[in-house]
Amino acid sequence: MRAWIPFAGVGVVAALAGLSLWLAGSTNLPPPPKAGPVEATSAAIMASKFVDLDGNSRVLGQLTGKVIVVNFWATWCTPCVEEMPGFARLQSRWEAKGVRFVGLANDDPEKVRAFGQRLAINYPLWTGEAAVMDLSRRLGNRIGVLPHTVLLDGDGKVIESRIGIYAEDKLDARLADILS
Amino acid sequence: MQGAGGGFFDAMRRIAGFLAALAVLSFPAGAASTDEPLEADRAFRPSARLVAEAAASGRHGIDIEYRIEPGYYLYRDRVRFDVLPATLPIASPEFPKGQEIDDPFLGKSVIYRDRVVIHLPFMASSVNPGRYRVRITAQGCAEDRLCYAPFVQELPLTIPAGYRAADATTRPLPPGLGR
Repeated sequence: MRAWIPFAGVGVVAALAGLSLWLAGSTNLPPPPKAGPVEATSAAIMASKFVDLDGNSRVLGQLTGKVIVVNFWATWCTPCVEEMPGFARLQSRWEAKGVRFVGLANDDPEKVRAFGQRLAINYPLWTGEAAVMDLSRRLGNRIGVLPHTVLLDGDGKVIESRIGIYAEDKLDARLADILS
Repeated sequence: MQGAGGGFFDAMRRIAGFLAALAVLSFPAGAASTDEPLEADRAFRPSARLVAEAAASGRHGIDIEYRIEPGYYLYRDRVRFDVLPATLPIASPEFPKGQEIDDPFLGKSVIYRDRVVIHLPFMASSVNPGRYRVRITAQGCAEDRLCYAPFVQELPLTIPAGYRAADATTRPLPPGLGR
């Protein structure tokens, strides 16, 4: 009987190794960094002021919808620029369901306009100076990095705050889950 | 003396040990805390050094050395230096050659990885001794993941009494320099 004990041990360990290899293989990207606590009230979020590319003053509360996707980005931030075409596709896909995307950048409005045209961005791109990163920090971006994407409900309540790239398929699934 | 059965069990123990190690090493990356991005002050660590080389070279000023964590890089053209108070004027920074990258969206940029020393030349051959601060505004990224909005770092800088630019070779680091 004792002769089988090593075989059983090897079998258990091999199963564990195989399971962990399978789990590792199913994870293509590292998990997103953890966002910090949200320190802004819904009212303060919706009253945050920015400027559109025509120079008009805007507040987030002007975006009416069931879900508002606020994306903090910059024209010099490669990961930000890489994820934006996917956001434009999601805006088209989910617009009829009440999803509104907006891009917020502390950047030169002319550069923002040029990027928006080049990337065929179909959602509003607003700019602001310190207000952009200030809001981002109060929405959980504790280390001041980009991109940062925040999902709000129609009343400005934070549904999710994500640091780093939000992959198109994952955001698509998240929106489907929220709106189901 | 070990019999044939003992050798077999020993081999099994070795295989089990190897597989156990494999299981630990291959555990999903999500379990590792290294996936958390560093704060800017930990990813990009500057220090300052006062230099005064031979009069013939005329090279005198401040060397700013950046130690950059693996997987992170600093943009050359997005680093700005101010010395406060402004009674210690500095000329344009002297940047070493960096790595040129060509991004399909952003065009060409020069970046630094690992370590870089940037020289800030004094504009005058004699400078007033005293306590100063070097304020650095910089931008950088974690490879393929995220970028840091402009961040500010300050380094204390003390210029000792009697300091002269033409004082022979490189001076040692005076007390109070560095972070």
